[in-house]
Amino acid sequence: MFLHQFKYSFKTLMKKRMLIFWTFAFPIILGSFFKVAFGNIESDEKLKVIDIAIVENQGLEENSFYRESFESLSNEKDDDRMFNTKFTTEEDAKKMLENDEITGYLIIEENEPKAVIVSSGINETVFKYVVEEISQTANIVGNLVEREIMNNGTQNYAGEMPVINQEEIIKRAMKDSDINLKDVSKANLSYTMVEFYSLIAMACLYGAMLSMSCINQNLANMCSKGKRVAIAPVSKLKIIMSSVLASFLAQLIGIFILFLYTIYVLNVDYGSNLGLVVAQAIVGSFAGLSLGTFAACVLKKSEESKTGIIITFTMVGSYLAGMMGINTKYNIDVNAPFLNKINPVAMITDGLYSLYYYDTLDRFISDIVGLLVFSGILLMISYISLRRQKYDSI
Amino acid sequence: MENVIEVKGLVKEYKELKAVNNLSFEVHDGEILGLLGPNGSGKSTTINCVLSLINYNKGEIKIFGKEMKPDALDLKAKIGVIFQDVAVFEELTVYDNIEYFCGLYIKDKNTRKKYVEDAIKLVGLEDYKRFVPKKLSGGLLRRLNIACGIAHKPKLIFFDEPTVAVDPQSRNNILDGIKKLRDDGATIVYTTHYMEEVEILCDRVIILDKGEILASGTTDELKTLAKIEEKITVEVNNLDEKSLEKIKELGGVAGVSYNRNQLEIIYNEGKNNIVKLMEFFDNGGIKYSKIYSERPTLNDVFLELTGKELRD
Repeated sequence: MFLHQFKYSFKTLMKKRMLIFWTFAFPIILGSFFKVAFGNIESDEKLKVIDIAIVENQGLEENSFYRESFESLSNEKDDDRMFNTKFTTEEDAKKMLENDEITGYLIIEENEPKAVIVSSGINETVFKYVVEEISQTANIVGNLVEREIMNNGTQNYAGEMPVINQEEIIKRAMKDSDINLKDVSKANLSYTMVEFYSLIAMACLYGAMLSMSCINQNLANMCSKGKRVAIAPVSKLKIIMSSVLASFLAQLIGIFILFLYTIYVLNVDYGSNLGLVVAQAIVGSFAGLSLGTFAACVLKKSEESKTGIIITFTMVGSYLAGMMGINTKYNIDVNAPFLNKINPVAMITDGLYSLYYYDTLDRFISDIVGLLVFSGILLMISYISLRRQKYDSI
Repeated sequence: MENVIEVKGLVKEYKELKAVNNLSFEVHDGEILGLLGPNGSGKSTTINCVLSLINYNKGEIKIFGKEMKPDALDLKAKIGVIFQDVAVFEELTVYDNIEYFCGLYIKDKNTRKKYVEDAIKLVGLEDYKRFVPKKLSGGLLRRLNIACGIAHKPKLIFFDEPTVAVDPQSRNNILDGIKKLRDDGATIVYTTHYMEEVEILCDRVIILDKGEILASGTTDELKTLAKIEEKITVEVNNLDEKSLEKIKELGGVAGVSYNRNQLEIIYNEGKNNIVKLMEFFDNGGIKYSKIYSERPTLNDVFLELTGKELRD
């Protein structure tokens, strides 16, 4: 019975042209568009070193970590160097920024680093991103130093000042933290990559349409076919489960085709963690599937309305996750991080992003867990809704 | 006779509207029971309640002696339903549609294959097996709808207005198929607002209006409720008032109407009324063209009981 339902659910799905367009063809078309539209930008951006300035003041002296980090990222001997950094006064930095000689400048006042920029763009985003990463690392180091002082202080009976090996602590912080400036400096913050990550995330979420459509046709309050299924001697849960699995398979085929197309036709480089990238896409597809299940089981609307809701949700999510510009993602990360924690598209994009830029998997795992929690909540609500065996009217 | 369905005191309310009001009836083994009533009379709601598809406010429903519940899978296995709306997959062929729905009941592949072929044959779709529904005419689509509902050879079948918007040829084919299902041993509940179908098909009829049973019985039993024996219609030109008055005085005449050269006479008793009427015309030198007699119909019964026509 399960296989029978699975077989026909899959067969039906594969013959729904509109669904196939949105879930299979549309991401491919959009991906091709990205490649054509942004491919050149990408190649230009890759080689560009970003001109910045750092204001030499008391704040910088007290936080030499910034100087050291930016010097390391601006090493002229390094072919992959990220910045061309000038140390100057605030006045000169302002002038340079006004004259468009630099992308932005860093000023540290009252121990607070501030990346000053006047426009938005890929270079500005990279600069702000790096400042924030250094700031976070500095905070971690600071905390560790404090802890070290406390520990040493309690052990020193002679009442001498405790000896702190700051270099050792920094090394430990760099090792413990998922912030790895070395990686940041090596990697090119790719505009196109973010587009493709959000494209994959969008394709994952579009899988919602498959499961929604598949489940919808088995619900008595949605269509006559559903009434016929409802009076058959098969448990509703079994029917829904097999439909969900069929749509998951269809969705995975779509994602697989998208990967093949982007890798072999569009020459997109997903980095060295392709296996994990695919794993992230599978979990993302599961989230999409859950969204569709939720829409089918909980929303009391026509299939067309549900499709509209899913497309809107996915497009808004994709926009917030940076599909239409990396700055959106960055601004939300800074100003409303909660939004990115509940936006499945952002979680997928972020997971893929972290695989590309970080050595450690902490952030990737955190995104995977976030997606699973998102899926679990939606599936739980759907299950509770489905447990209703009868309707008031159909 | 064994009861296949027993419904007692069924009440279904939609806010202030009583869609089904204290309905009680039985369906006997092997019969075709007709549920006759105008649109909105509660026929489909009654079926949905009996099938446990919707909640109802009060009442008891038993099928094959067991309480009908949403999880009564053993009972569901014996039931087939043909809904008013065509319930098939646009993406699947005729064969696949029937195979899919049959597969929800029949696990064994070989048995299922045979059942699907039988269903296709029963509804006459042998030449359309590989067609998708959008390539079928309205009548053929209705036949496919029926095949999907009966392929698993159910013992109890509900037909909910299966001939709506169907051409005469397909309608006859459908009605013949339903009779064959009954002859093969199935018990059938047939809802319609076409009284002609009920008269041709049903062993017993329940007349519904506003969610209540107005009358029930065989068609002959119900026709006695119409309180008319015969209706004679005559096409006659220029009939004067005097002649009309004389017709009203003929024996057994309960009512006379004359509109657009069409004379209708209702008799509540008497034999050979048509002969007597022709004699009256001949003696009075009244010329007439067509003349025909009708027995009372279920529409007359409905008119008598509710004061309105079935298709009002």
